[in-house]
Amino acid sequence: MAEYRMVEHIPDLIQPEEYERHPEGRLVRISISVDGGGVQVLGDAFRPEVLERLLETLGPDAIEQMLCG
Amino acid sequence: MGMQWTPAVLQRRRHGRVQCLLCPFRCALEDGETGLCGVRRRTGDRLETATFASSVRHWDTVERKPLYHYRPGTPCLTLAAPGCTFACDYCINHRMSQYGREDSVRWDAEPVDAEEVAGEAAARSGCVAISYTEPSLAIELTAALAESGRPLGVDVVWKSNGFLTAEAVDLAARHVAAVNVDVKTLDERDHRDLTGARPGPVLDALTGLRERGVWVEVSTPLIPGLTAGPGTLRPIARALAALDPAIPWHLVRATPAHRRTGHAPTPVADLAAGVRIGREEGLRHVYVERALGAVGRATRCPRCRTTVVARDIWALGENALEDGRCPRCGTAVEGRW
Repeated sequence: MAEYRMVEHIPDLIQPEEYERHPEGRLVRISISVDGGGVQVLGDAFRPEVLERLLETLGPDAIEQMLCG
Repeated sequence: MGMQWTPAVLQRRRHGRVQCLLCPFRCALEDGETGLCGVRRRTGDRLETATFASSVRHWDTVERKPLYHYRPGTPCLTLAAPGCTFACDYCINHRMSQYGREDSVRWDAEPVDAEEVAGEAAARSGCVAISYTEPSLAIELTAALAESGRPLGVDVVWKSNGFLTAEAVDLAARHVAAVNVDVKTLDERDHRDLTGARPGPVLDALTGLRERGVWVEVSTPLIPGLTAGPGTLRPIARALAALDPAIPWHLVRATPAHRRTGHAPTPVADLAAGVRIGREEGLRHVYVERALGAVGRATRCPRCRTTVVARDIWALGENALEDGRCPRCGTAVEGRW
């Protein structure tokens, strides 16, 4: 199971202007980048549990998450 | 590093037990027992806490707490130890907050050097925030940070669930400059379902904190099917307006999280309706952080409606106030500017 790390900042991939176009909150957006250190998958979703399940399926060592408040 | 237990305050002997006076559960502990919070325990005749520690050390802005009328744009060095007095089923921070209640939450906090933290905050003309989990559980750390920060001009602010005893309110008010309190609902049953606790002490605490000079703002999560409708929002707005129409009220969009996943995110229309309800009940400052755009985050003069503080997402845009007054009509805008 992936370790969750709480980090200071993660960029948004979904903007507030998109809220009304997805009233059921089914939108998930993913950005994948590769560099010398490996593959980074950045995600944003209206339903955090959906994104978490998706990221966990990829089998990463760690999943970074922002906190609320 | 494992948990380190240090002496705790707010306790009394009662019928052979040591009673914790921090939160309204008032756990009466036998030797060796830990309170419902999981982070305060009795050892011999002493009450101890594990919260002189933090799992994070994040820089963000005061707008993220959210505090909109307290020193806009101030950077906050934010700390949090695992644990909460509530068991909210929708908590986004459950991987830290639900320590002691859920086996999957591990203790990962490190001891805090209060002088060093206050010094780092002072170097950026910032404040120290205790947030993400329940800050009142770290009342001893709060006091130490405030004492270290005071000569440096560093305040301590909280984002709290407001579930404090009168004794804890008295103590907190000596050390906390500003607090955002979550008022989730005033409905007894809904509040118990959501949090595992009664709502009454929350209103009492925010009233007591205000009376003792702490700057108080309020947040309410709009959970569809539970707290997003007028049946929840109007009584809260009415209660706040009766206390003081100048209390800033933040309406928070809820996304399905933790154990409450059977609903869609809060519709934008519900947030807009919440703003209308707040204003109808007389509140001067009702905010929505993202869904209504910049207009939802702006502070307006209560008299001439000029925008006096413009905000970006989680950041100050422009503060046009002059000594806390509207630059156009001179009306004072309540806050700690």
